[in-house]
Amino acid sequence: MTLQTEEYSGLKRRLILRDSLTFLSLLLVTVVLFLITFFLFRSFVTHRQELALRWSARGQSAINSGHPEQAIVALRTALSYAPGQRSYELLLAQALGEAGHTEESYNYFLGLWETQPGDGLINLSLARLAAKKNDVQAAINYYRASIYGTWEGDGIVRRRDVRLELSQFLIAHHDLSSARTELLVAGGNAPDDVPLALTLANLLEQANAPHDALTYYQKVLALEPKNGTALESAARLEYASGHFDEAHRLMQEAMHEREASSSNQETITSSDKDILDNSARILDLAPLKKLPNNERVSRILDARTLAKKRFDACSAQVSTASGLSNPLQNLATKWTSKDATSNRGALLNDPTQQDATMQLVFDTETQTSKLCGAPTGDDALLLQLAKFPHAMEP
Amino acid sequence: MNTHTAIAETEPVAAKSAREEMIARIAPGREERVFLVLSIFIGVVSGLLVVSFRMAIEWLSVLLLGSSPNPHQPRLLYIPAAAGLVIAVLTRYVFPNVRGSGINQTKAALYISNGYISFRTVIGKFLLSALAIGSGHSLGPEDPSLQIGAGVASLISRRFGMSKEKLRIFAPIGAAAGLAAAFNAPISAILFVIEEVIGQWSAAVLGSIVLSAVASVVVARSFWGAQPMFRIPVIDLRDSRELLAYAALGIVGGFASLLFASCLSYLRPKLRTQPQWSQLLQPAAAGLLVGAIGFFGLTQVMGAGYEAIDQAMHAQFAWKMLLLLALFKIVATTLSFSSGTPGGMFAPTLFIGAMLGGAVGTFEKIYFPHLTGSIGSYALVGMGVLFAAFLRAPLTSVFMVLEVSGNYSIVLPVILANTIAYLISRVLQPIPILEQFTHQDGLDLPSMEELREESNLHLEDAMQPVTVPILQGSETIADTLRSLAQYEDPKSIPLFLIHCPDGLWYSAKREELEALSRDQPATQTDDLGVPTPAAATLAEHLGPERTPVIFPDLPLSSALPHFQRWPVLPVTNRAMRGSLEGTVTLQDVLNRYQKH
Repeated sequence: MTLQTEEYSGLKRRLILRDSLTFLSLLLVTVVLFLITFFLFRSFVTHRQELALRWSARGQSAINSGHPEQAIVALRTALSYAPGQRSYELLLAQALGEAGHTEESYNYFLGLWETQPGDGLINLSLARLAAKKNDVQAAINYYRASIYGTWEGDGIVRRRDVRLELSQFLIAHHDLSSARTELLVAGGNAPDDVPLALTLANLLEQANAPHDALTYYQKVLALEPKNGTALESAARLEYASGHFDEAHRLMQEAMHEREASSSNQETITSSDKDILDNSARILDLAPLKKLPNNERVSRILDARTLAKKRFDACSAQVSTASGLSNPLQNLATKWTSKDATSNRGALLNDPTQQDATMQLVFDTETQTSKLCGAPTGDDALLLQLAKFPHAMEP
Repeated sequence: MNTHTAIAETEPVAAKSAREEMIARIAPGREERVFLVLSIFIGVVSGLLVVSFRMAIEWLSVLLLGSSPNPHQPRLLYIPAAAGLVIAVLTRYVFPNVRGSGINQTKAALYISNGYISFRTVIGKFLLSALAIGSGHSLGPEDPSLQIGAGVASLISRRFGMSKEKLRIFAPIGAAAGLAAAFNAPISAILFVIEEVIGQWSAAVLGSIVLSAVASVVVARSFWGAQPMFRIPVIDLRDSRELLAYAALGIVGGFASLLFASCLSYLRPKLRTQPQWSQLLQPAAAGLLVGAIGFFGLTQVMGAGYEAIDQAMHAQFAWKMLLLLALFKIVATTLSFSSGTPGGMFAPTLFIGAMLGGAVGTFEKIYFPHLTGSIGSYALVGMGVLFAAFLRAPLTSVFMVLEVSGNYSIVLPVILANTIAYLISRVLQPIPILEQFTHQDGLDLPSMEELREESNLHLEDAMQPVTVPILQGSETIADTLRSLAQYEDPKSIPLFLIHCPDGLWYSAKREELEALSRDQPATQTDDLGVPTPAAATLAEHLGPERTPVIFPDLPLSSALPHFQRWPVLPVTNRAMRGSLEGTVTLQDVLNRYQKH
């Protein structure tokens, strides 16, 4: 019995020893296998990173050299070695767009957008692609999301640029009031920067907001009084708004600056020259209240003479064709009134009569331009003056 | 016979039973403890091998096809063909058991070879599958990983002198570990092994399968990271009407899986019946054709195709391109797999599903723009759809999508689409593709689908109303005899049920009762010689033995062991102790089985 127990214990000990040794050897094999796998894996990962870098660099240079199709292949390869690498994905989406795969690029950006709906760059890209696809509302939505989205680096500048792009898009789609709002917001947060103010002014002009545009040109001139572009543009706007004196002054300065600047090789445009000449002539014709009474009355009389000639010519033209129309008959009645017949002495003594006579001149130029076509020469300038009769008055 | 050995390996015979018995005697709990610890080791080693396997595939791919395989590169034509030739020669002369995906081989190991998978097969599977997939053959790494895991389990467990029963169940444990590491999805791997390899839930192996799967995934994730295999798009089901669109995907997937399975079940046996010399050329020819598909524009169909799946999930293809990719993937995989090139079917199935899902999603986006689901979610559901319909693993397919996406909100579309696809596949193709492969290989492995759906018979199915006389155990023998006298011909009654005072039953043959009454003394006397009545009850005469307590809901087979001792078994109610529901005899049970 004792012998059996001893034999039993011996067997059990041998079994435990054998199992322990087997487990130990299994553990050793596992550790060795782990180490081999670990070192192989490290080398594998490094190799993949190198391949990803190499192919993404190729993709980037292909984009830069204007070969988006090659960039697509390279970036797809780069992404296969570094899946989910955001910078490569953005480059690929960009390359797809540049290669004309608008739909694919749009979908790619949409995929990126789903993971980062607040990313400014992705929203901007989507906005541009939506604009390309003529999906106006989606484009506006993405532009807005981009403005309020997150940006890496100088977010303020990027947001302002996007806002300017949005306003350009709105102008192109004739939503001028929204464009003006965006431009005013962009300008409100903008620093005193001449190129930016010029851009804003230019866009505001396109958005049919000449008054706001003029404000920005004036801002530029305050910073850079000799800025030729601002001088010319401001002159044009002043002219268009009836401030012919300001227009003349600004255009004259612009011309001087252009002549003085040796680097500026631009030739004076005929429209600028016209503005300068016309504003000068208007200033000669305009019976401004600040002029001496004698001079003012002389100009009123000259203007009346001009207007009368214009009326007579127009009446003759119209009556030959179809008889005098109602507005011309009204004018004819006015031309028989005191306003048309007051002599120099009466006008000198009666400022109210002066204004009434000028009103007859303006009415005549306005009505005849409607009935007998656009006037030329001084009549055209009087008509221009008629549009803003008090613009140059203090 | 030759085809038989191609899939089922023969274990070297060793007379171990005496040793096993001795070990069981001296260390009775040893096997259970070793079993659990080994499961963890198997998981770790399988995980490491699967990581190496994936590395090998990608390295070979870069080495053979270049770092950026693109259409019109001549190497796309000759590399898969050359690799095919090498694979064919090695398969013929060095690694004869590595053909196929690995799932059926693992099942064969489990059911035929006591879990035996040779070291040579593991090495061969690793090398040749990596070479095949890396050179561009349209196959996947998951099924070979499953077999590699099973092989590792077989190798390790053999070193510990485990019993045959244990050795056999190590194969599915290793299979789960290999698949979990390859998929980076432990739940799906566990479910797949249960659904497709073991066929039924078994508490005996579940714990070990879970341990090994978790260990292998931990190892795999420590290398590859915890991120899922694909970048998962945003998934959202805002409007339940969109389920109709997913149902349409289920229908498309069901028919696509049918096409895929039909192609495979037609071409594979055709190629296998060709002369031996031509079989040596088949992988090369398949490689050339698959390479030609890549050469002329569709490089995405080459290899496992994970990148293309990822791209489809992120809406980077037009729907026509997606359909084209799905169609050519079916062609390419049919060629590669049927030629006998080792490699798996999982990745191609997922690829085809993702492409079809993406196509359906993109189509619906274009023509029904009010639908809110992303194209990626359709691609993801599509993967599950093909998995359910083609591999006939509906439960795994649902969990796979949930696990891969990490998003529960997709569960309804997945269940709906997968079920539709599964039902279409079942109706139109009654025999699952994996089962067809086993038949083509000359094996008769159990059908997992049948096993899953087998309706187990219960005692209530064979139970009969009580027709045998019931006697009360509390009566004396004399009273019992008087009770019997009320029957017309008590001698013709063969069986009796005796209700004992303890609430239990005793079933007795007539001869037993007759013997009791014969042994009964006429009268008993006390010490003083005064006669006393024979007070002992029938139950006391019968002793402590009682018929086993059985209930109507127990499996029918549970009654079988008792018929040797008891001629009839009373079936009692679970709620009321001793209350009789009916009886069963051996004949009743056999009759019921014959009817089944």
